Amino acid sequence: MSETSILVGLKAPDPAAMTALSTLMRISPETAPLHLSRYDHWRFTGPGAVREFVSELVSHYTDIVNPNKQTWSFFEGETDPILTDPGMTWAAVLVTDRVDSISENWTGILGRRHRGVESVGYSVLWRLGFSRSVSLEDARDRTMTMAVTTHRDRGLLANPVSQLIELLGTSKT
Amino acid sequence: MSTLPLVAVIQFPGSNCEYETARVVREAGMNGLVFRWNQLSELRDADPDAFVLPGGFSFQDRVRAGAVAAKEMMMDIVFSAAAGKRPVLGICNGAQVLVESGLVPGWEAGRVEAALAANHIAGRSGYLSRWVFLHARETAVLKSPWLGKLGTSPIPVPIAHAEGRFVFWEEDLSRTLPVEALVYCDENGVERPEYPTNPNGSVHNLAAVMNTDGNVMAMMPHPERAFRLWQLPPWIPGEWGDRIRMSISAGTLADAPGPGALFFQGLADHFGGGRHE
Repeated sequence: MSETSILVGLKAPDPAAMTALSTLMRISPETAPLHLSRYDHWRFTGPGAVREFVSELVSHYTDIVNPNKQTWSFFEGETDPILTDPGMTWAAVLVTDRVDSISENWTGILGRRHRGVESVGYSVLWRLGFSRSVSLEDARDRTMTMAVTTHRDRGLLANPVSQLIELLGTSKT
Repeated sequence: MSTLPLVAVIQFPGSNCEYETARVVREAGMNGLVFRWNQLSELRDADPDAFVLPGGFSFQDRVRAGAVAAKEMMMDIVFSAAAGKRPVLGICNGAQVLVESGLVPGWEAGRVEAALAANHIAGRSGYLSRWVFLHARETAVLKSPWLGKLGTSPIPVPIAHAEGRFVFWEEDLSRTLPVEALVYCDENGVERPEYPTNPNGSVHNLAAVMNTDGNVMAMMPHPERAFRLWQLPPWIPGEWGDRIRMSISAGTLADAPGPGALFFQGLADHFGGGRHE
């Protein structure tokens, strides 16, 4: 069984990330990140879900990656280059709907047409960059505080009543 | 200065139902004014008797529908007014803002205890635009200033949303009845958890949830789009379909009120025709 994940981002600055960052800076000025990026995260699982095949899928299905406005890359998880950019302390969270029709629909579409893919998982990955002086532990705490919406003035990136939140890891370079 | 009750209709960037909502407020005999999300001092000075957060979008629904608007300073004013028992209604995107604000269900005010998740029911997902039937819970009719004229008979109202599925934490599912305001049903008032009676998979067939005091209500259907009887399609079954046919025969369709008017007339009755003290 193979599993391959990709990240899909906009070529232009992402307006959702910009709005989220300005909102976090307003509601949590002491702990907000200096940088925030947003990516679509797709996870393909199945005996044929290897990199070469996923590359073919991505080039074929422009609903997953629209080459006119989006770029994509394979995602390596905690060791991915986007989480090890020099100069900052990084953390990332993966937000997934508990009941997710996007994943269900794509699992159905690709499962019917391509025997090698058994499931597709769609999530949103938020990458938060903090000052280098912020410790890894502090970055983790801040990230979860800003991701998990518990109150009107606490948390933004996910509503835990309907979404799963997974802290992917932190790095400092 | 008008002595009529003032209902503030809040316009966020991306709202698209604010003007028709203000208009139906006025047609129901109140003063309906649109305030932009950043007209904070104007809104405080106006000291509205009630608030409506209309449908459409807010901040392009970036991050999550209603999530960014819920954290705007404008919502501090709405939050204070709600705590002071003033009526607040959120319609569609406005409902999403109220849920993300923690104003409904409001077991602990300000704590986010519910979500309006993406539509998901067996065989259906994605955006929905159609007419549905709903009826009010008996307790809600007694508590909510918006539901006083509604009774518990089923009424047809349109929906248009992609994220309208009320969900709660598993441990809260057994205590939702006191905050259940409106539920999806068929034209005879029968509730079913399957599509099309429940169009989006909402738990307990919920179309609207209120706070524990009953003064704040978040509803996904659009009552302002059913304010006049002529706004209803002619094929609507049940009592309201009969009313359309009778109005056409009598030549009174142009002025006849639709089921959506009941929400706003109920609020006007609640105020008794004047402003708060």
